[in-house]
Amino acid sequence: MSAIDALYIFDEHNNLILDHVYTNRPPPPSVILPLYLQQPSPQPSVLYLPSLDPPTLLYSIIQDNLLFITPTSSATTDPLVVQEFLHRVADALEEFLGSPLLASKITASYDVVAQIVGEMADAGVICQTEANALRDVVETGPGVLKNLLGSIGASGAGPVLQSGGSTTGIGSASLRPQIPQVQSAQGSAIPWRRSNVRHTSNEMYVDLVESLSVTIAPSGRPLAAFANGSIAFTCKVSGVPDLLLNMSTGGKGAGMGSQGDQLRRMMERVVFHPCVRLSRWNSEGILSFVPPDGRFALCGYEVDLLGSESPLTSASSGKNSAASLGLPATIEVNTGLGTSGAEFEVRLAPSNNSTSTAAASLQSNLSRSAGPFKSTSSGDPKAPALENLTVHVPIPAGVRNVPDLRPSRGEASFNPAEGSVEWRISGKDFGPGGAVLRCTVQGPLSDDDEDTSGVLNGMTATTYDYDEDNGSSTYQTQDGGEEQATANGTGSAARSVDKAERKRELMPTSATLSFSVKGSLASGLKVESLLVDTKKSRGLGAELKPYKGVKYLTVSRKGVEVRC
Amino acid sequence: MESISRISSLLETARDLTLEAAQQAGPRRSTKPLPAQQIKKLLDSRNERDVLDGLRRVIAMQPLVYNYLIHHAEADPDTALLAINTIQKSLSDSNPRIRAMALKTMSGIRVPVISQIVSLAIKKGVSDLSPLVRKAAALSCVKCVRLDPSARPQVEEYLAALLADKQYYVAGAAVQAFMEIYSDRLDLIHPVYRRLCKMMVDMDEWGQLAILRLMTVYARQCFPHRTKSVKRAAQTQEQKSKDFYEDLEPEESEADEYEDVNIVDPDLTLFLTSTQPLLQSRNSAVIIAVTRAYLYLSPATHLQHAIGPLIALLRSPQDIQQTALYNIVQVALHDATLFVPDLRHFLLKASEPPEIWRLKLEIMTLVFPHSDKETQDLILAELEHFSHSANAELVRESVRAIGRCAQSSSTSSRTSRRCLSLLLKQIHSADENLVGESIEVVRHMIQRSPDDHRKTVIRLAKNLDTLTSSVARANVVWLVGEFAGYEPESNIAADVLRILVKGYADESEAVKGQIVLLAARVYLHYLNSRNAKQKALDALNPPTEQQSENSNSAPDYGAPDEDNDRGFRDDAFSNDTAGQADQKLDLTHPIELLYTHTLLLARYTPSYDLRDRARTYRALLSTPSSTDLASLLLLAPKPVPQAPSPSQARKTFVLGSASLIVGEALRGDEGIPDWVREGEEPDARLRDDGVKENEYVAGRSTATASAGQRLDEALAADPGYKSAGVAKKEKSLDAWLDEEESEESESEETESGEEDEESEYETDSEDDEQAGLVQ
Repeated sequence: MSAIDALYIFDEHNNLILDHVYTNRPPPPSVILPLYLQQPSPQPSVLYLPSLDPPTLLYSIIQDNLLFITPTSSATTDPLVVQEFLHRVADALEEFLGSPLLASKITASYDVVAQIVGEMADAGVICQTEANALRDVVETGPGVLKNLLGSIGASGAGPVLQSGGSTTGIGSASLRPQIPQVQSAQGSAIPWRRSNVRHTSNEMYVDLVESLSVTIAPSGRPLAAFANGSIAFTCKVSGVPDLLLNMSTGGKGAGMGSQGDQLRRMMERVVFHPCVRLSRWNSEGILSFVPPDGRFALCGYEVDLLGSESPLTSASSGKNSAASLGLPATIEVNTGLGTSGAEFEVRLAPSNNSTSTAAASLQSNLSRSAGPFKSTSSGDPKAPALENLTVHVPIPAGVRNVPDLRPSRGEASFNPAEGSVEWRISGKDFGPGGAVLRCTVQGPLSDDDEDTSGVLNGMTATTYDYDEDNGSSTYQTQDGGEEQATANGTGSAARSVDKAERKRELMPTSATLSFSVKGSLASGLKVESLLVDTKKSRGLGAELKPYKGVKYLTVSRKGVEVRC
Repeated sequence: MESISRISSLLETARDLTLEAAQQAGPRRSTKPLPAQQIKKLLDSRNERDVLDGLRRVIAMQPLVYNYLIHHAEADPDTALLAINTIQKSLSDSNPRIRAMALKTMSGIRVPVISQIVSLAIKKGVSDLSPLVRKAAALSCVKCVRLDPSARPQVEEYLAALLADKQYYVAGAAVQAFMEIYSDRLDLIHPVYRRLCKMMVDMDEWGQLAILRLMTVYARQCFPHRTKSVKRAAQTQEQKSKDFYEDLEPEESEADEYEDVNIVDPDLTLFLTSTQPLLQSRNSAVIIAVTRAYLYLSPATHLQHAIGPLIALLRSPQDIQQTALYNIVQVALHDATLFVPDLRHFLLKASEPPEIWRLKLEIMTLVFPHSDKETQDLILAELEHFSHSANAELVRESVRAIGRCAQSSSTSSRTSRRCLSLLLKQIHSADENLVGESIEVVRHMIQRSPDDHRKTVIRLAKNLDTLTSSVARANVVWLVGEFAGYEPESNIAADVLRILVKGYADESEAVKGQIVLLAARVYLHYLNSRNAKQKALDALNPPTEQQSENSNSAPDYGAPDEDNDRGFRDDAFSNDTAGQADQKLDLTHPIELLYTHTLLLARYTPSYDLRDRARTYRALLSTPSSTDLASLLLLAPKPVPQAPSPSQARKTFVLGSASLIVGEALRGDEGIPDWVREGEEPDARLRDDGVKENEYVAGRSTATASAGQRLDEALAADPGYKSAGVAKKEKSLDAWLDEEESEESESEETESGEEDEESEYETDSEDDEQAGLVQ
């Protein structure tokens, strides 16, 4: 059902660096790679190769320029299963070898990679994909052999705790009298947390990152505005901590039920790491979990910045509501400017009330509740730092060149290969006055409007004499008049219309805004408190006060799109 | 010398033994990590002790050695067999992890000779105290059966025991193994069904995936689909919660209030409710698998829960996003209304790759007919925006999407008009691609309801002056020809022909072909009307007859032409001579001149295809008085073009399957079985804990039926106008005649019910009747 036949990894030059066969006899990488590269770039992530025997499905992902390919001959495997598996393999390798994944890192530590890859699927059946739990099974580090002897040998040397696993229940409890309470209380495994975590400095970090996806109509009205949030959690705490993460909506949606209700209403379409107790979330809106060790994605959510109840096309959201969406800047594109209509203009203006109070208040909130707590945001919490402000304007393929770029601030350049104008403004430069970029586009070399407009068939002089009869027809009355004017217009009139039309086609139809704001979230979510539930936690001292930190980051990677 | 060395070696061995004993007992601190070269040196050493030491170090790298063994055992089975003994020893190691690893390795060695040993090892593993080993045993079952299919019966026992395991990740692995090798033995599942459902939430993602797939099939084959049913919904809810874990029969209900609700077996409800927490999984495959269970088991009650999580998948990496979109389209094809509130998620981004926006466009058009006016406006604005894009492919797709919107909104003529005017606006674009595409779509819309669009044709014809796209021109000319028969008094077709002929030489070949066709049609209509007049004169009928008939039959497109032809055919036969006489009189009629001129032009066209066509028309229309054959060919009613949603053809594929993504039925993809027939399902008591009868045989009879049904569905799901057109073209002329006659006779019968014989003359007689009435 979920048979993974093999895993091949290629480096950026398409050299094979890993070939791991799980089961069956899959086509070798030397056969698969040319077939894959035959496909027009970018290659599809699911590729069907009926020419092979047996017909094979090829799944691929590209991570850090490494190409992961999995062939499978079983048609009953769900594509998403394999795709998820590939992502997990990449994640696990990253966890062990560090990010970014490099071909040299993989080739240098084949011993680790072979163990990871071998552990993740058993004879093609996916079995263990939790990167953190793999730490129990896979021996790593430069001294693999040392660790091997310690942990795999029947009774390890120094770190007795290293051997076995917490997942062994009764059998292992007797092996490790040092921490019997963990095993007995837990009873069974925590599949996602490696056993016997020890840290000298105990610390926990919560990173809330929201990635914006906003579409703004030419009128300036937002059509859709979503903040795709994720909570990345870094936990370096000894033992088995049980944590409570309490968040609030930052004042939005007030007056509708309890705080937990508000939060749950605001965070839509939530997905959780398996460690989160769903019942607690559903009843109180609190994230209660035993985290894996190290960094992991705790939660993914989505916030509709327009408000989920607002109708799709209501005008009530205001003409220029970029500020209400939490955007740090508003962007506006005007096309068809200048004497010949070959210029366009991008206006960027700061929105005044985009700063959120979230960052300012977090410090007090958290320090009150739980020991040493510091905002790790690099910017001044009172004034979230706007960085990497970039505007991309995709230019139609018909444009030969954009010779004239006149930014009032920052730097602008035209990249013909990508067909887009890129305009970078540093955060410091971007003052309250805003900034303007004005560009002139050049059309195709032979500006042959005169030849093609209507003379092509030598029919410019002909007219249809039944025009008049139908002008007042019932159906066309909506826009008949205008249409007719164009249709009737021959010679110069039509040509000039056509010329303007041509110019219009050289104009960009959209622009995207990219930026990152540290210290503030578009949705206004806040972390209220992060508590260690000492009653449920095991293996950490009562006096232990882990260092805690919260980071807020709002990014837009070409996520704000303005149409024109 | 000899003796000394022997003694020393003995001594060494003895020391080794003691050392080993010591190491077994205490920490093995003495062994330090050594680089590979040094180990090699140790192994190559003449000193036995060094070799032993080296070997020990190698053995210390157990996981790697095992890994090596698994991969190379097949190539060198003899050496692999040597290792078996050691591994077997490890099976009784005190560390469960070592036991598990040994079991995993042993079963992974692909040497058939050892299958019995593996089977025994699994047996031992199944009863191991450590769940870790039991999990390894479950996964080893797969390898054992693959290695030696004759071991199936034994392994089946082991697996049955493992399925009943209380540890959830053992059960999860057991289900995975079950799905790999015994997926047709559903009888093994009965006793553990309820337990598995309850354990599902705690399993890891891959176990959940296996169990979701298993239970979807299981439910189809074990719970008959009872449509007309019994209890009030609220009561069922109560009943459910009460009966979950009790041994009540589903039919056992206090029947006081009956309602027409789907009765769902409590066991099925148990499964469906226990899947709900899985919708918050971070694994996209799990979400799709849950959606699949809902879609194929109980779409009415549960599918709406899956919509939000499905949309959350759009946040995933792009490859997953694309697969998710395919699945969302599939769900939307079943019920698009569910996606109406979330439409904003499907707005296009300029930076998206084609695979993504193509699917998003499709979702928007699917949702369009179900949404309110404001949403429709939003969709149309979106499509309009992207029809001005610089990307030709995107332009084409969005224009087509507008066409689909117009087609599906059968209710609102206003929206349809709005779409049309949107499309007509594109005509003046300088982008040939866009113009061609939009005219094509406009043509489809006009063909669908020709009577509303006569003026549109005229409007399009006016644009022939400025249109440059040859596709667009050809389409417009064709449309003009199609409408040449309407309102003979004020038809523009002849006029358009006159103007087009002047520029004939400069047209592209496609347009030339359409001009020749137009000429033939115009001429044919001219002949027809002349014949009609002639007939009218002869029969002394009122001259208005033709028009009235035309307007009468207006609502049904295609009928007018047909009626005309039929009406005149017999006259044509009877009045042969008269027609010929008439022709001589009128030889200089402009239409006739135009027609001959066009044919002359066509005759000297380089394209042989065009010359052939011209010859055909000439032959067809050679006898002015006998036009029925020509009418059949040239004025045949066209099948109404349907532009189905692009993924309509994929609708038969199972949600989440690879076939759905690839777009063709893959070998081995069996799909979801049909519901088991009432009465054939296994006894519900089999699912009670403790009862382990294996009397049930899965309903295999349904398999064949489902295959046939799927074929039917596949045929039915392809209503594309192309195939329809082909089908029509393949008919012989006789078939055409027969069909039309029979069709007409049917309609006649409903009207008068008298003319059973003489079906050929029906229209004639009707004409007579009408004439009589008028008189």
